[in-house]
Amino acid sequence: MIQIKNLSHHFELGKKGRKTILPVLKDINMEVRRGEIVSVVGKSGSGKSTLLNLISGFIRPTEGEIWMEGQIVSDLSEAKFADFRLKHIGFIFQSFQLIPSMTAYQNIELPLILKGEEEKKRKEIVVRMMENVGLRDFQDHYPSELSGGQQQRVSIARALVLEPTLILADEPTGSLDSETESEILEIIQKLNQELGITFLIITHDEEVAQIGDRTISIRDGRIMEGANAV
Amino acid sequence: MRLKDRYRFIRQNIKKNRARTFMTILATAMGCAFLIVLASVGYGLQQSVVKETLEDQVVTEVQVYGKESAEGYDSITVADIDKLEKLDHVKAVTRRTQLRQMPNYTLDEYKSEAMAVSAHYPSEIASGLELSDGRLPEKANEVVVGYHFSDTLVIDSEDVVYDEETGYPEEQFRYKGELIGQTILMTVKQDEEGNVTEEIPLTVVGIIEKPGREWMQDRDVYISQEVFKQIETFTGTAGGGIVYDSEEIETGHLQVFDQVNVYADNLEEVQGIVDTLNEEKYATYSVVSEMKQINTLFTIAKAGLILVGTIALIIASIGIYNTMTMAVTERAPDIGIMKAIGANPKTIKQIFLLESTYIGIIGAIIGTIVAYATSVVVNIGLPMILEIAFEEEMPEGLQFSSIPLSLVIIAVAICLIVTILSGMRPAKRATQIDVLKAMRREI
Repeated sequence: MIQIKNLSHHFELGKKGRKTILPVLKDINMEVRRGEIVSVVGKSGSGKSTLLNLISGFIRPTEGEIWMEGQIVSDLSEAKFADFRLKHIGFIFQSFQLIPSMTAYQNIELPLILKGEEEKKRKEIVVRMMENVGLRDFQDHYPSELSGGQQQRVSIARALVLEPTLILADEPTGSLDSETESEILEIIQKLNQELGITFLIITHDEEVAQIGDRTISIRDGRIMEGANAV
Repeated sequence: MRLKDRYRFIRQNIKKNRARTFMTILATAMGCAFLIVLASVGYGLQQSVVKETLEDQVVTEVQVYGKESAEGYDSITVADIDKLEKLDHVKAVTRRTQLRQMPNYTLDEYKSEAMAVSAHYPSEIASGLELSDGRLPEKANEVVVGYHFSDTLVIDSEDVVYDEETGYPEEQFRYKGELIGQTILMTVKQDEEGNVTEEIPLTVVGIIEKPGREWMQDRDVYISQEVFKQIETFTGTAGGGIVYDSEEIETGHLQVFDQVNVYADNLEEVQGIVDTLNEEKYATYSVVSEMKQINTLFTIAKAGLILVGTIALIIASIGIYNTMTMAVTERAPDIGIMKAIGANPKTIKQIFLLESTYIGIIGAIIGTIVAYATSVVVNIGLPMILEIAFEEEMPEGLQFSSIPLSLVIIAVAICLIVTILSGMRPAKRATQIDVLKAMRREI
């Protein structure tokens, strides 16, 4: 599903002439197989979010290759990577990243609109998704009118509407209380088991990491010795 | 992403900032209206000038004055007429020759002095000569007279009173009866003293249509070529001129024409005929040639006015640029989310370009409506104001402003180009938004 080969990344900080190089990831090699839940854990600043952003295509690696669905994606243009994301990847963010001016229904509908799906089919899918995440009665609510857990369910529904094979989750329960956290983790496990969706979860929470089939630890930009990275 | 969904997106976005969008649309509408109204003055005045020039002139007519020669200009001869008639697309060649003396006419107790003109009726008919009454002559002694000829027929008395202002005899001394069917006696002189005269009876069979312009007077008598030749034979001079010295009498002379008009079979061929005649060294005048010059002048003027009007639209475009830049900045987090979940940068760009185009279209529609309303008000109000201000009557039908469809198309096209261009940079900026920074609300 995902293959990462000799991946390194650094950030250039400071203004021109006084730039400093900040290495973030060093020689990362790892693999995520189809149907797995893989948790990437590490302390704050360890580079785990950078790893997710590289896999997402939001930033480009300084060195190395990222393979997904049998092709090198790290070389794709911005437009092609956008199309790839729309087709293959769903996202769950810590801060939900819902558009505040859109209702729950409209937020879930957005990927379908971007894909160019017909309105009738869109409605059918969105209604089904809202029922699946238990938000049927909240379709006309704006994000500000929903609780954190409800917002994250909207976010999960949005990630699922295009039936992706992979979901990248960045601290999916980071903004939720423990009760809601358990509900969200249950949904993730259910989706993995029933639909076979692959999950790559970035977290610093041990409880979240435990739902994964494998856990990869990152420290100071490197995968730790003994981590089950492949 | 479907066009319908893009449009829905734009409407949602516009709704968020109604007041700002409204003001931007208003500025665009004002710019567009200014452009149209300004250029409409050029169009209106051109229309008025062209109308004035074309009024009562036959557009297919080419007047031929003479032919260039080593000595200057030669009169048009029969040989020239033959040549002119053989030109392509020539419908008719009318030729008139004026009698070289002013004959007297008598009808009962009324007398008149008026010019006699020889006309070639077949060509006059072919050229579309219209009569206000009667018919065209069929016999040699039949004539048609000018519309104002009857005004010249005055009672033969020394008591006739003349109008001080116009110099014409007063109404009650003029002939009031029916002219058609009447026989008028034309008297021509051979010598200056009038010792030898000849009287030729002529039957009036038709009256030529009134000249189009109020100030034009047609008092001529249109005699046949046979009568004209009869007079020439009587006087023994070319054109029937009075003999001042018996030695001047000619026995043979070349027939020449004073007024020769060539008529094209349609408007498109006029310029071609003029060019051919000019190549053949004929001196010509045609309203089409004059129109060409007038139109060239007005085209330059209109282009200048459109250019000035475009400046107003460019100023309005600054507002659009500002609105779109603000919109991109405000919506940066939303753009970041959309890009993150897979929105193509091209789609984002198109949404913003469509939004600026939408502002342009609405602005252009409102601007056009305002321009039409302004044009109507100007056309009604301005002549009234000018008449009051300058105490001078404006010419009838004077149009200050005219908005043809072509002007609307030009203005809307300029408006759209300007608005799309002003939305280009903000739209490009939207595609360059960094997903991570946008999602962290750092933009």
